[in-house]
Amino acid sequence: MEPSRAYLSPPSFLPACLPGVLSRLEKLEARARALALKQEEAEQQQRQEVARLRARIKQLRRRRDELKGKVSLQQAALGRREEATSSGAEPVPTARVQERALLQWKVETVEAMLRVFYLTGISGKLTERGVCFCLSTAYDGNYLDSYYLDIVITQPVRIHRHSVPIFIPLKRIAAKYLQTDVRCFLATLSAHLNAYVGRKYQADYLQKHFSAFLGGHWQKNSLYNMLAFNYDVTTESSTFPFRVKLLYGDLDRSLPTEASVSCKEDVPASLLEKAATHSSLFMNMALHKAFDTFRKAAETPDNTE
Amino acid sequence: MAARGRRGRGAAGGAMDVTVAEFIRRTVLKVPRSHIPALLQAWGFLPAARLQALDVRPLKEAIAEAVVQLCQENSASIKEAAVLDIVYNHTFQNKRVWTVYQMTKATGGETDIFDFTAFKRKFKRRIQSSLINVTINFKEFEDNAIWIRIAWGTSYTKPNQYKATYVVYHSQTPYAFISKSINRSNLPLLCQALIVASNYGDIREMELRSHCLDSLKDIVFKRYSQTFQTHHPKPLQERNVAPENVDPRLIQEDKSEKERIQRVNQEVFGDGPQPKLEFAQYKLETMFKSSPKMVNVSERESFRCLVKFSSPHLLEALKSLAPAGMADAPLSPLLTCIPHKARNYFKIKERKGVLAAGLVSP
Repeated sequence: MEPSRAYLSPPSFLPACLPGVLSRLEKLEARARALALKQEEAEQQQRQEVARLRARIKQLRRRRDELKGKVSLQQAALGRREEATSSGAEPVPTARVQERALLQWKVETVEAMLRVFYLTGISGKLTERGVCFCLSTAYDGNYLDSYYLDIVITQPVRIHRHSVPIFIPLKRIAAKYLQTDVRCFLATLSAHLNAYVGRKYQADYLQKHFSAFLGGHWQKNSLYNMLAFNYDVTTESSTFPFRVKLLYGDLDRSLPTEASVSCKEDVPASLLEKAATHSSLFMNMALHKAFDTFRKAAETPDNTE
Repeated sequence: MAARGRRGRGAAGGAMDVTVAEFIRRTVLKVPRSHIPALLQAWGFLPAARLQALDVRPLKEAIAEAVVQLCQENSASIKEAAVLDIVYNHTFQNKRVWTVYQMTKATGGETDIFDFTAFKRKFKRRIQSSLINVTINFKEFEDNAIWIRIAWGTSYTKPNQYKATYVVYHSQTPYAFISKSINRSNLPLLCQALIVASNYGDIREMELRSHCLDSLKDIVFKRYSQTFQTHHPKPLQERNVAPENVDPRLIQEDKSEKERIQRVNQEVFGDGPQPKLEFAQYKLETMFKSSPKMVNVSERESFRCLVKFSSPHLLEALKSLAPAGMADAPLSPLLTCIPHKARNYFKIKERKGVLAAGLVSP
């Protein structure tokens, strides 16, 4: 223990290693203070630098806006000079305006015409290799899905891509008409698609809005050309289940070619008559409309149908 | 048709086979607990009142035992157990790998009215004429899908109910989806039965396989989003657009390039969601084209190489390659033709007569 560092000499009861530790701590403290000072200086410098750069940015922006203003002024002056040098300041702008208005009208007419084509159901657009047809379908006043055909005009004409559902007999129709009469091909395909979409619409509408009448045991297939289900017929005494099977033999029609209504044997004769009338009703009227008449008949108090 | 065991458990209500009970128990155990009530309801065999009283709080083993008990009271047979298996696999259809098969008509027949009863009868008759020990069950679902479940046995063993094959068929379409069965020896018989029952002439396996059955259907039924050139502007759809950068002082250097990539991508892939495939495999049978220095490798032989792309959702990944900057737009037609050609297994051969790189060949 050196007596020279009196202010740091430890009391005598402390062990001998401690004075070294305390001096070590003092050194560390001094170092930490120095580092803190340095850091503060660095931060200050950084802040100054940032402030300087911000001022520079503002300066550059001002300069840029000035230059922009000058450029726009010059351009305006140039434009005015051009107009002034051409023959007569008045007629030229109106001629240009007229031309533009004419062009706009032409464009609008063409767009409207294309839109009308789309609404007719068959529309197309020329592509680099052929034509892309759009067949849009509708039923009962509602526009439904659109189907596309990308046709390549080579020898023979072939279909490159399409979005027609797989169960529509596209290959058969194409084999029959595509090479010889494109118009007929499109018309037939459009009829098939519209009929399919119409049958599907009827079936879905029936299930959605007339579920109170229906009895279940739905049978249908992908093309919706066979539909069978049970439905209830109410008379004044009780409710009888009828089963109807609809066959749509013609794929391009949305009305069935065969409608067989059946019921159990032990029903009164009047109901058998009713079955016959229902059968003819289904053959001639859309499904949901037929059920609409049933509903109306059920609502009126007059039960002699 | 069904192979029943001779022993029956004499429980209250009716006799049920021990194997059937075990099968039902194991099927229920496979189902995650939260799906059990919905699945049993879709099955439609147990009465609704008892189903509502079913307690799903305890352990699954207890639930399975309770279900087996209910089935015993209602005398379930192998037929109902098979239907439960079909419902389970329909709900969890993405656990299996499905292969697509295409059928062709030998004669250009008219589209016939599809008769489900006749289909079932013809199918069963064709299979049972060769093999007696099979269990065949059908179930039709809302989207016109017919699920067929076949449990195969041999001449002297009962059908193995735990390794059944599933076939999904949509009426009036030429496609059937078969889930890979471990036993491939029964596949020809199954294909024969399919074409006999659905009035087709021939069937072949397509090079299209995936876990996601709905995506396979989308690809072959052409239900996926394709872009077609049309004058009619489609209605604007909400798309995930990056938020507009409001600060006009920040500009993007490569804005025009990004827009070009976006446009090309949209032309190729369309706007809507892509079908979900897990992999695409390309088998190369082309010549190895090397620099003149490497003369060791014989240039007479074809360089056999297999390239496989796998991803949880391959087509979406391919769609996002170009915008992410990892590939040039437009992408190679080998990658983008996957939904259009309806295949994800390709063989690439040399283009005949030209020394350039190979072409895709079926």
